[in-house]
Amino acid sequence: MSSSTSARTDDPPAVVLTGITKRFPGVVANSDVHLTVRRGEVHALCGENGAGKSTLMKILYGMQAPDEGTIEVNGEQVRFRTPSDAIKAGIGMVHQHFMLADNLTVQENVVLGAEALHGIGQKARRRIIELSGRTGLNVDPGVLVEQLGVADRQRVEILKVLYRGAKVIILDEPTAVLVPQEVNELFDTVRGMQEQGYTFLFISHKLDEVRAIADSVTVIRRGTTVGSADPRTVSSRQLAEMMVGSELPSPETRESTVTDKVVLDVKGVRLLTPDGARPILEDVDLVVRSGEVVGIAGVEGNGQTELVETIMGMRKAGSGTISLLGRDLTKLGTLARREAGIGYVPEDRHRHGLLLTQPLWYNRILGHQTRRPAAKGIWLDTDGAKKDTERIVADFDVRTPGIDVPAAALSGGNQQKLVVGRELSGDPVLLIASHPTRGVDVGAQALIWDEIKRARAAGLAVLLISADLDELIGLSDTIKVMLRGRLVADADPNTVTPEDLGSAMTGAGSTSAAVHETVAVEEGEN
Amino acid sequence: MISTLEEKPHVPAVPRKRKVPGWAVAMLGVAGAIVLLSITSYQTGFPQLTSSGTTQTAVRLALPILLAGLGGLWAERAGVVNIGLEGMMIMGTWGAAWAGYQWGPWAALVAAVVFGSLGGLLHAIATVTFGVNHIVSGVAINLLGAGLTKYLSTLIFLPLSNNPRQSPPVQSFDTFSVAGLGDWLGELEAGQRLFISDVAGILRGLVTGVSPLTMIAILLLPLSYYLLWRTRFGLRLRSVGENPHAADSLGVKVYFHKYVAVIVSGGLAGLGGAALVLNPGQLSYLEGQTGGRGYIGLAAMIFGNWRPGGLLGGAALFGYADGLQLRSGGETVLALVYGVVILLGVIVVWQLIRRRWFSAAAAIVVAVLLYLLYISLDEIPGEFVSYAPHMVTLAVLAVASQRLRMPAADGVVYRRG
Repeated sequence: MSSSTSARTDDPPAVVLTGITKRFPGVVANSDVHLTVRRGEVHALCGENGAGKSTLMKILYGMQAPDEGTIEVNGEQVRFRTPSDAIKAGIGMVHQHFMLADNLTVQENVVLGAEALHGIGQKARRRIIELSGRTGLNVDPGVLVEQLGVADRQRVEILKVLYRGAKVIILDEPTAVLVPQEVNELFDTVRGMQEQGYTFLFISHKLDEVRAIADSVTVIRRGTTVGSADPRTVSSRQLAEMMVGSELPSPETRESTVTDKVVLDVKGVRLLTPDGARPILEDVDLVVRSGEVVGIAGVEGNGQTELVETIMGMRKAGSGTISLLGRDLTKLGTLARREAGIGYVPEDRHRHGLLLTQPLWYNRILGHQTRRPAAKGIWLDTDGAKKDTERIVADFDVRTPGIDVPAAALSGGNQQKLVVGRELSGDPVLLIASHPTRGVDVGAQALIWDEIKRARAAGLAVLLISADLDELIGLSDTIKVMLRGRLVADADPNTVTPEDLGSAMTGAGSTSAAVHETVAVEEGEN
Repeated sequence: MISTLEEKPHVPAVPRKRKVPGWAVAMLGVAGAIVLLSITSYQTGFPQLTSSGTTQTAVRLALPILLAGLGGLWAERAGVVNIGLEGMMIMGTWGAAWAGYQWGPWAALVAAVVFGSLGGLLHAIATVTFGVNHIVSGVAINLLGAGLTKYLSTLIFLPLSNNPRQSPPVQSFDTFSVAGLGDWLGELEAGQRLFISDVAGILRGLVTGVSPLTMIAILLLPLSYYLLWRTRFGLRLRSVGENPHAADSLGVKVYFHKYVAVIVSGGLAGLGGAALVLNPGQLSYLEGQTGGRGYIGLAAMIFGNWRPGGLLGGAALFGYADGLQLRSGGETVLALVYGVVILLGVIVVWQLIRRRWFSAAAAIVVAVLLYLLYISLDEIPGEFVSYAPHMVTLAVLAVASQRLRMPAADGVVYRRG
């Protein structure tokens, strides 16, 4: 899959990092990192979220100084104090989160900070047009960046780097924001530029992509490099095991723990769009029993989000009842429902799960502000909350320098572990987990799976919504397929394949005995 | 002169691909505004609406607003909200009076700029270095400006003028007029012909009694535009207001540019204060003299969509509203209501063409209400008239604020790292 290596072995390597160590208060972000990037290759750096990839790249780009270790560029030892030193040495960085000013034009964004090269006028414009071709960017430099799509913004970022004369380009998680077709276009651009002699450092934890584009791979785990691999011979699973440092987890559950005790009983729930024009949920009946994981499969936008929000009381159902352990919750608010024993892992942890600017212990209180240990009577119990946050950090392996750092300082996986830990506190009887492992690394994924399995064995009822069909099939005791606001089919997780589920989700009808339709799907309805 | 108010009908709903260049829109707006005023003055029988006297007063009153707004433009383009313009302006008035009565008007200008800049420096230290919330720091500077000048006035002006609230008189600038042109325009204006007399009146007001400060202020506008939009320094300054993290990653000194912008902002606001002190009608420092013009300047800048051209339109609009009420009182302000009704009529037609029924209906309702107000009253009560500029500010911002685009990182405290 990878293009032929154009690296010449007789030249000194483009970049050599030796024994890099970087400490922050409370954590060691990098320890004794070794990395060699040959000239003209695409070198991938793989690791879980929070493994220290970004810190390492910030060091290479001069944004942070290493505590120990040396950097060599083209055989010469260098010392970067600021990014401009790195730029002078021919190193450029395309950040994961675009560093663009939306309200400025493409040209202004590109020349900013490098005005000395070609000014900010016509000369710069000509140079930008000249370089645009190499990145596949096909817009006028006078266009505002806010009018560009994500793929073009990324091209502007690459253009910025080229304009400054970079020969070594760091791409930090470049595909995280792209759709598959754009990823292919990006790879075409990278290969084209590789042929023109550019060197790429490609940071990613998406292993299929790494194997598709890289000439060599270095794996980083817990802040240190653990080895390198040849992407042509290594499998994604082997790479993943290098990243995690152990055998990969699987979501598989072993024996059934389902009991007869009905925990959640949803009957005939209907929900209309806010303008009342169209139903989002129609006659949804759903039962989740103690010790059971009920998975809901469905293409996004078919009512799963709304179903969860209706059960949580964030939306008011038009008709139907929702009861928990026989108690009617239909008229209660969200807080009362949580107090009745529902834990909720929201699908978007940044919008609904956490206050990013607040410390971890503060986030622990959210949703538990009326219950022990976060509250005593009408007062908040901050000591209790802090103590319990320490427990979550320890039990759920939340990697953090302390419980007083803001939630934003944690990587996505660690944020999610905190949310799951919080929602499993206070002995809930039902857990609603929406995409519980979306956007988290393999290690965090395994931990979250284990915790859900353990809680299930202890009698927790779980309603699981996930777009990851392997996760859904592996964890669930029962799978229901949701299409256009209805639960249209049941599937048996022991026998169903992701392909079967996929066709049921799109309404193509059942293709397997493992999926049996419960509602006739009306064709032609929009 | 109320150019930007007229801009609305000319800019398409999605101003992404503007086919008509900005200056043409502005010219159309100015022309439209003059036509509107001349029709209004003809229909209502108030030639004061476009008289040279009104225009002259409007220019004098627009100057402080323009300068304060320009100050706001500098700070906010660098991402620092400067609600402290009022306080810096107050410091400017005191500085102008203190230097002005001793060493003349040019010294007054210099001192005003220095005092205003000190206010700006304080704001920069608080917001940029210590990361204080911009609004909190700005309000503190407003309080400080008022308190400090009160103290200094009691200390220094009281022995001289026997009044702790007023400075000794300040020497004014010599004003000059374009000699031949003024008389000729005066004849035209006196002719009372529709449109021609109105244009002549406005032009005469613009070329009569011009002070060097007016020239400076008018020149500062294109100068600011050139510096901020056409130079490397300006690009860096604006990038800091749009995305400081991006700017920092490209080697732009974020703190330095913010400091420069806020200090310049204070200096301009101080100069606006000098424009108040050196106003021929007043010529001294008075406590409470600024009367919220710093805030109005900020409003003019917001109304002008953080652009110098729009800011000029906003300042002109507020200056005109202020000048009209000062010179002519309630009757003519009421005549202006009639003008607004006509303007709303134009907007209604435009919205109907664009098939925006709701906006059209809303405009019709407002127009009818205003027209009822116009025919039922003989004049607007005096207590109300003096608040005309503030009313205009409120109304204009309420209508205009929907399509405005502020710098993306405006008001956001930036921390390195």
